[in-house]
Amino acid sequence: MKQMLIITDGCSNVGMSPIVAAAHAKSEGITVNVVGVVDQGDLGEYGASEIHEIARAGGGLSRLVETKELAQTVQMMTRKTVVQTIQLAVQRELQAVLGNDSIEALPPEKRGEVVQVMDELTESSSLQVALLIDASASMKPKLASVEESIHDLMLSLQAREGKSEIAVFHFPGSKQEDCVLDLDWTTHLKGVHSIFPKLHMSGTTPTGPAMMKVIEYFVQHNDSKRRSEMEGMLGDDVV
Amino acid sequence: MTTSFKLPIKKGSIITGKWKNGQYRVERLLGEGANGSVYLVSKGWQSYALKMGASSIDLQSEINALKALSGDDSSRRSYLMDVDDWITPQGKEVPFYTMRYVKGLNMANYIAQHGADWFPLLGLNLLRSLGELHRERWIFGDLKLENIIVGEYGEVDLIDFGGATPFGKGVKQFTEIYDRGYWNEGSRSADAAYDLFSFGVLCLQVFAPRKLAQLSKELLPQTRSAEQLIELAREIPQLAPYRKWLEQAFDGGFSHGKEAASAWRAITHQRKPTVKNTATPRWLKVMIAISIVSLCITASLYALDYTGLLR
Repeated sequence: MKQMLIITDGCSNVGMSPIVAAAHAKSEGITVNVVGVVDQGDLGEYGASEIHEIARAGGGLSRLVETKELAQTVQMMTRKTVVQTIQLAVQRELQAVLGNDSIEALPPEKRGEVVQVMDELTESSSLQVALLIDASASMKPKLASVEESIHDLMLSLQAREGKSEIAVFHFPGSKQEDCVLDLDWTTHLKGVHSIFPKLHMSGTTPTGPAMMKVIEYFVQHNDSKRRSEMEGMLGDDVV
Repeated sequence: MTTSFKLPIKKGSIITGKWKNGQYRVERLLGEGANGSVYLVSKGWQSYALKMGASSIDLQSEINALKALSGDDSSRRSYLMDVDDWITPQGKEVPFYTMRYVKGLNMANYIAQHGADWFPLLGLNLLRSLGELHRERWIFGDLKLENIIVGEYGEVDLIDFGGATPFGKGVKQFTEIYDRGYWNEGSRSADAAYDLFSFGVLCLQVFAPRKLAQLSKELLPQTRSAEQLIELAREIPQLAPYRKWLEQAFDGGFSHGKEAASAWRAITHQRKPTVKNTATPRWLKVMIAISIVSLCITASLYALDYTGLLR
């Protein structure tokens, strides 16, 4: 299961539309969630509607919150999205097997069994969450809270039975890059004291291009994983 | 995102189950939780609490937990009464379940009304309820003041099982300030100690809600720790006998609700009768002072009168 979670406080202003990028993500099986951090109401109506549109195109959720609610929101959204993804998959199965289009169409006893299976899948499926953090100048005072929420998310993910990994990116980079990898796929944050060391805050917000980079990263990671698995299998055959 | 769920349901509306045809008359809204709204309803002469949720998955998951916990000798056996769907007049299908209606107060209000003398008993009853869940290898998860109802004579009922989680799985739903992970004191994997940590925070929440809120607001995330909670507990006289117990709970020192309950019980019963420094009420002190002063005045007037100085 793949998720991208964007934390931002403003509108994109450079490069391709983040809504198009979100649709790309969805077609690659990556669900896009967006959290807008609104402390001084600096997001504006346009920013708020962009956030909702990105999430809609990416098949995920969007929320506008204050900095102090960030940790709880990030953790909760990630969990909800896992549940929703499982729900969609199970509903598809139900449709194929029974011709029912929803779990609600089942009588309560049967529904209980299906939901139990779903709860188990929610716990045991493997999960990758890529966090994409807006590091434009106005986000600077909020970065400590962003780090806290990443640690908090890791704590919740570690309690799952299934393998859970996170990776962290920020955008834009200091040398005109669209986005920079801060933390490669990991299952723990032991020894990580600062995820964002010395960021040079910039004024532009290339949300769309940054999202495309993250999608690329997901795709490459999975391809290389598949390749190494293939090699492993071949290797076994040879031995 | 559907986090809150509101349907304007008027008093007197009839909710009919689609599958089993049970009919319930709505009396009033009792409360709104994370996964739905709870109404007081009646069926014949009997009252029930009826919970309806926005998401049938979340609600069903809660029902599954309640069912799993309805062991043979469990007090929750009679908790879950009916599970069904209701088709609203607008044609929307809403899942619901009914449960025993527990009349009572929230723990903080109960203590405010009936006095802190009740606290040790409420604590014990609550720990025993948790112990029952732990015996079934489940935890309650989202233990907090709002999820506890206290009956007339201190009976304790847990409500809202949205956070109930089998041992070893990720805690399904929690509230930050009661969460062990939030205080950097351990994982969010379900074990008995998780509930008991929340119980410790609950004790602070009963007697010092403002200080606790202040504490969580002021501390930096990485400096939050059980130390701070233990320190706060030291400032609360009502918790004095339970200090050691609380330290153990915050430290993950109890591995089962039953163990924690018997330790609590031992403290409650071996407790030396508190030294009678039961503070004399202020008004009484003032009255005594006034009577002493007036006595002195009368006496001195009398003395003066006797010695003839006033003549």
